[in-house]
Amino acid sequence: MIIEAKDITKRFGKFIAIEKVSFAVDVGEIVGFVGANGAGKSTTITTLLGFINPSEGGVKLFGEPVTARTAHISHQDIGYAAGDMELPGSLTGAQYFDFVTAQYKTKSKKSEKTDKSDSKARRKELCARFQPQLDKKIKSLSRGNKQKIALIAAFLSSPELIILDEPTSGLDPLMQERFLELIKLEQKAGNTVFMSSHYLTEVADVCSRVILMRAGKIIEDLPALELFERSGKHVRVTTPEVVRPPEEAREVHYEKSDNFQAVQFIWNGTAKDLQHWVSGIDELQDIEISDHNLDAAFKQLYENEEIDEPVV
Amino acid sequence: MMRSIFLKTLYDRRAFIIGWFIGMLALAALMTSFFPAFQAEGGIEVLAEGVPPAFEGLIGDLASLKTFDTYIASQLFDIRVPLIGGVMAIILGLALSTKEESDGELRTVLALPISRSSLLFQKFLAMLVIIAIITLGLALGVYAVLPSLSDASIETALMIKLLAMTWLVMVTFGTITYAVGMMSGRKAIANAIAIVAIIGGFLLTTFSSAVEWLQKYEFLSVLHYFPAVEIVTSGVAKKDVAVLILICLLLMIVALVVFRKRDIN
Repeated sequence: MIIEAKDITKRFGKFIAIEKVSFAVDVGEIVGFVGANGAGKSTTITTLLGFINPSEGGVKLFGEPVTARTAHISHQDIGYAAGDMELPGSLTGAQYFDFVTAQYKTKSKKSEKTDKSDSKARRKELCARFQPQLDKKIKSLSRGNKQKIALIAAFLSSPELIILDEPTSGLDPLMQERFLELIKLEQKAGNTVFMSSHYLTEVADVCSRVILMRAGKIIEDLPALELFERSGKHVRVTTPEVVRPPEEAREVHYEKSDNFQAVQFIWNGTAKDLQHWVSGIDELQDIEISDHNLDAAFKQLYENEEIDEPVV
Repeated sequence: MMRSIFLKTLYDRRAFIIGWFIGMLALAALMTSFFPAFQAEGGIEVLAEGVPPAFEGLIGDLASLKTFDTYIASQLFDIRVPLIGGVMAIILGLALSTKEESDGELRTVLALPISRSSLLFQKFLAMLVIIAIITLGLALGVYAVLPSLSDASIETALMIKLLAMTWLVMVTFGTITYAVGMMSGRKAIANAIAIVAIIGGFLLTTFSSAVEWLQKYEFLSVLHYFPAVEIVTSGVAKKDVAVLILICLLLMIVALVVFRKRDIN
């Protein structure tokens, strides 16, 4: 296992930010970590990275226990970027990349030359993908451009494990797409990505597994495919007269106009059962079936949960 | 160029270094250029007789203004520079410790494979170098004006002693702020302790000669360990150097132990 979190609890005074959080991530997995604001995602990630100490429980990275004192050892093989990351404003993007590159030790003297040329090639490739502004002071850049610098820096050393905390916030749709392509390439290269997000659709697009967090606890840990299946289909049926939806339907809504009646609902049952229900309708005018929006499907989990995460 | 925290810190603080270097140079040049006015016959002796002892701490020993070495020690190095330089060192200590943390930049740096102890010491080393550069501004200011003055000279060895002690006093104020900042991560705490150290020290050292009950507490003042005029007459006391170094060492050891373990805000 590349990440092992066991029963980690973090308290800030009386406030429990995360409670008995346990999960493990295997080498090569792309795991999405989803939750609303204040769910405890960032607290979990900062504990993984050793910025804060868990009140209870422990974290292992690459099989070694992580503490504030020893975290830097595992960071040699980790790339990290966060949506609200504060970069050194007095440096230009190019200077910051030089600084970041210099912190990662080369594996051996012999491979130093190879590492340097690999690093240059990697930097060139990442810059071509994200098109950052390299010659301006970071403090003068827009949020989106700062985010590009942070993302490139995270991938610069070709790390085995990439930890991302809401990495696409501030990016325009084109850059978001390029970022998600990069994640897919990392997966092909056998690297591991642990990525938090507010958006389930975003992580479900690239992740093989999704961990859902709510109010400091893990509520689901399941394959992304199962999440799609669970989220169901959105069905809209138009008829001249009112029809009753199937009993298993959820989130039922009725529409009424002079010419038609429509009923729409979320269907989690089998296609055969739905077909059977449709065949029972006398005068079917129209039927629309589409994938249910994942974010909407899990919105109910996050509702009434705007707990502010403490500043740590 | 930007290969280490040490070099990055120097680069980040370049405007601060240039600004304070010029400021210290100007202050030293100005105070040096005032020497002929103090040396002139007449006024000072009369003024010295009328000054109450309580004010001597503020303006220095007026009797020592006749020769350049005692003049510059009393009027530049005794109170002004340790106070102004102390404030500079406190600002620097805060900038290197709590500012980066409150901005969130500390987490960005610690996400890289940099150990907390290495970060602590590299920044501390940068602080020592920055204060040394700014202290050199003082020397430059004195020596820029000195050739234009008649009957004014100072031995190089004495100047080095005064500059070294000035550096050490500034480093002590900087270390108090930096170490408390790194231990607590809180700007308010570091600021409060630093202000107590410098203002409290100033009050203790300044008024202890006039207020009897303050005398037994004067050893608590950092400024007490830099008697500039005494350095001209008797040299640097090893005890003073040892105390200041010990304060810095102890604070850095505690800072190291705490900073390696604590949560980063």
